[in-house]
Amino acid sequence: MKTTRRDIFKFVGGSALGVLFTPAPWRLITDTALWSENWPGIPRPATGEITAKFTHCSLCAAGCAVRARCVAGQPVSLAGVRGGLCPFGVTGHHLPYHPARLQPAAASEASAAVRDAIAKCGPAERVAVLDLRPGRTASWTARRAMAALNNGLYIAPPQSKVAVDLAKAKTVLSLGAPLFERWGTPANVFRARDGFRLIQAEPVESRTAALADLWLPIRPGSEEALALSLAGRQPFAQAAEITGLTVEQLRSLQNELKDNGPPLVVDRGMSPAVVSLNVQLGAWGRTIGPRAEAPVFHEWREAAPVTELASVPDRSIRVLLIDESAPGEYLPWETIEKKLVPENPVVAVFAWAANGYARNANYVLPTAVYPEAADDIPAAIDSPAPVFRMAVPLAAAPAGMVNPSEFIANLAGMPPSDALHQRAADIYRAARGTLVTYADGKAVPVKEVKPDDFWKALNAGGCWIGEVPVAGAAPAIRAFVAPPVSSEGLVVLAGGSPAPALASPLFTKLYQESDLLLPPDSVALHPQDAARCGVATGARAILETANGKWPVRVVTDSGVRPGVILAGRPEMAGASGKVVPA
Amino acid sequence: MSAPKKYGMSIDIDRCTGCGACMVACAVENNIPPARPAANERNGITWIRVFKLDNGEDYPGKRSAFIPVLCQQCGEHTPCVSVCPQQAVDVDPRTGIVGQMPERCLGCRYCMAACPYHARYFNWWDPQWPPGMEKTLNPDVAPRMRGVVEKCNFCHGRWHAAQERAAAAGKADIQPGDYVPACVEACPTGAIAFGDLNQSDGDVARASRRPESFRLLERLGTDPKIYYRSRRPWVRKAAQDSRPASKAPQASGPVSQVAQASRPVSPSKEASRG
Repeated sequence: MKTTRRDIFKFVGGSALGVLFTPAPWRLITDTALWSENWPGIPRPATGEITAKFTHCSLCAAGCAVRARCVAGQPVSLAGVRGGLCPFGVTGHHLPYHPARLQPAAASEASAAVRDAIAKCGPAERVAVLDLRPGRTASWTARRAMAALNNGLYIAPPQSKVAVDLAKAKTVLSLGAPLFERWGTPANVFRARDGFRLIQAEPVESRTAALADLWLPIRPGSEEALALSLAGRQPFAQAAEITGLTVEQLRSLQNELKDNGPPLVVDRGMSPAVVSLNVQLGAWGRTIGPRAEAPVFHEWREAAPVTELASVPDRSIRVLLIDESAPGEYLPWETIEKKLVPENPVVAVFAWAANGYARNANYVLPTAVYPEAADDIPAAIDSPAPVFRMAVPLAAAPAGMVNPSEFIANLAGMPPSDALHQRAADIYRAARGTLVTYADGKAVPVKEVKPDDFWKALNAGGCWIGEVPVAGAAPAIRAFVAPPVSSEGLVVLAGGSPAPALASPLFTKLYQESDLLLPPDSVALHPQDAARCGVATGARAILETANGKWPVRVVTDSGVRPGVILAGRPEMAGASGKVVPA
Repeated sequence: MSAPKKYGMSIDIDRCTGCGACMVACAVENNIPPARPAANERNGITWIRVFKLDNGEDYPGKRSAFIPVLCQQCGEHTPCVSVCPQQAVDVDPRTGIVGQMPERCLGCRYCMAACPYHARYFNWWDPQWPPGMEKTLNPDVAPRMRGVVEKCNFCHGRWHAAQERAAAAGKADIQPGDYVPACVEACPTGAIAFGDLNQSDGDVARASRRPESFRLLERLGTDPKIYYRSRRPWVRKAAQDSRPASKAPQASGPVSQVAQASRPVSPSKEASRG
């Protein structure tokens, strides 16, 4: 039989068709899929003993208790102990691997330069530490070091002297405080949420405003005028003109605060005006009281006082050390720069990433980052009782990182000491309060704990909770001053609450792979304003304010008040600004 | 053998602040990588995604709500199961969870086209983490390869772990609270509750029977096991709308996405759009 070309084609075609009816190709596909799942490009999670560790999150002032799931000692997930965590807290264990993290570097050059500049300080020139999160044990070390230097200054952002108790409030009036966005401890705020009616007075529909029982869309900058009218120190008609609310709304609000008590009025930083309004409403000692600090080692009391930046003379700081290792409230660089001497000031920044003040520094000293760094976290604004809790390292920091406290103490010639341990010992000696341990969920009076066990428990993520201080006499009611309301240009407000400068790379889920968060390089405008500025959603533009110019991406949002620009970063905020097409 | 369960969720929209903790907690638990530079909201991977919904009004009448949308774990006529040519999707009769097996997936994306909730995601890229960050991966979940579809499975790894713990403790079944998905654990407001819908006196089953409770696109008859609730009528209405009317929620909502029937766009096509 002769084999033709047609026969060959038939055979090949038939074979190909026949193979499809056998398991072979399908098996091949499955095997390929299985193989490709494990090819070298796909990382394999490490395995090992699974353990739980407890600590406190030091990424913001709330200091939430955290349970870390560790595999072979490496934290692989973080969860809240008394409630959920914010997205920053959930992903805190990624920060040591952030691409923007500073690499270890020798501090000797910076140390020599700083020492040299200190030695050359003129009679009126100062050495200053700017601590973004005061009240920590590290802050006390810095204050002591500055006291040891003759010309030392300890500068910190203004801190609230009061604490609030949301659980006791029936009506809460928030003047722009981001109550549901890490203003207080999320677990406390949301546990108390069902017990109070929330009235949010704010120019934009923030997340807090969206979930408030009542949102009062006031004009930007009119919060204090609203407080003034509610305190009966400004006629409603005048306040209505400033705030944009009606006289009826103001009267109804005042009645509600009086009739549905105990009331509580809050704003971002618990300003003196708001504290005065609370005193006037009879909230002092009920929903608001003095903010207590955990006991401090008696020898530390000889420390430099806390100075606000505004009260430092211009052109007076020769050496400025900025401790940015613990994120805190942002102070505009322009304000800081005015305080530096005009010629050759030395600015050294302690930071874990080079995105904040590091851009303006002569020396950037890399530090450990949460959850590598050991630090304590002062009581949050919604904690009426003093607390002492530590961010216990969950992983070891790379070699070569600088400890800001040690560096500053060394400059002042202070001997090295374990300040956290000293302070804990002092708290133990006072024998007051309760020790809470999360591993077993127990709360034991300090009197019943042995000294070593107390320190061990704190290092295992425990928390000391002191007694709520007696409120005492209410602070004097402050004389209110009606604030000026800007009318030129668009008012630039910072969106949301203060957030850590950098977040986990997984935050792309929130602003790149979805549009849940306003990205840091974006501004939101009302569609009318956007049209007036000649920009549209997604357009590239330049934001111009008195603080500088920023390239931004535009987002239009009809929830933003006309005349307002909502900015993604706090340094963009300003009384007046404009958006121009790029 | 324990009685079959029907795991479900109850999500209180009136408590959701849209913080996104659930989204990142899900990514941490399930080893979902950060976005590649070319990724966007249509080809990124977010097993649970919080959408911002509004009432369509202008300032100051505008009111917003946040609605977390994840795989709705359909119980009847599960669209993704019925279209999968590879049997890579199945419903576990023990738990009612709709599972996805990436090893079997061919990447045809029929399931994505069939899913009325757009809750399935395709791996356009190999999974990649910044150097060192792979140390933080969860050992209970294998990272998926490029070219397969993935979706929420109620953190099935946690269910297995809970089963093992129960077995080690000599218990026949896991107790309520022993098994909780990562998003539920992470939610700071307690807006998401999880449990067995067959347990009629359980929190989730009771919440699902409340008058303000609803499910997304209920008329499709897919019997989702995710129950939402809101006291705001416009939010409840939005969940059933298939097309935004003039006063209906704006384009960022999940419902409008469904209405637009937007298909995920490949990165190359997206790039070519400029």
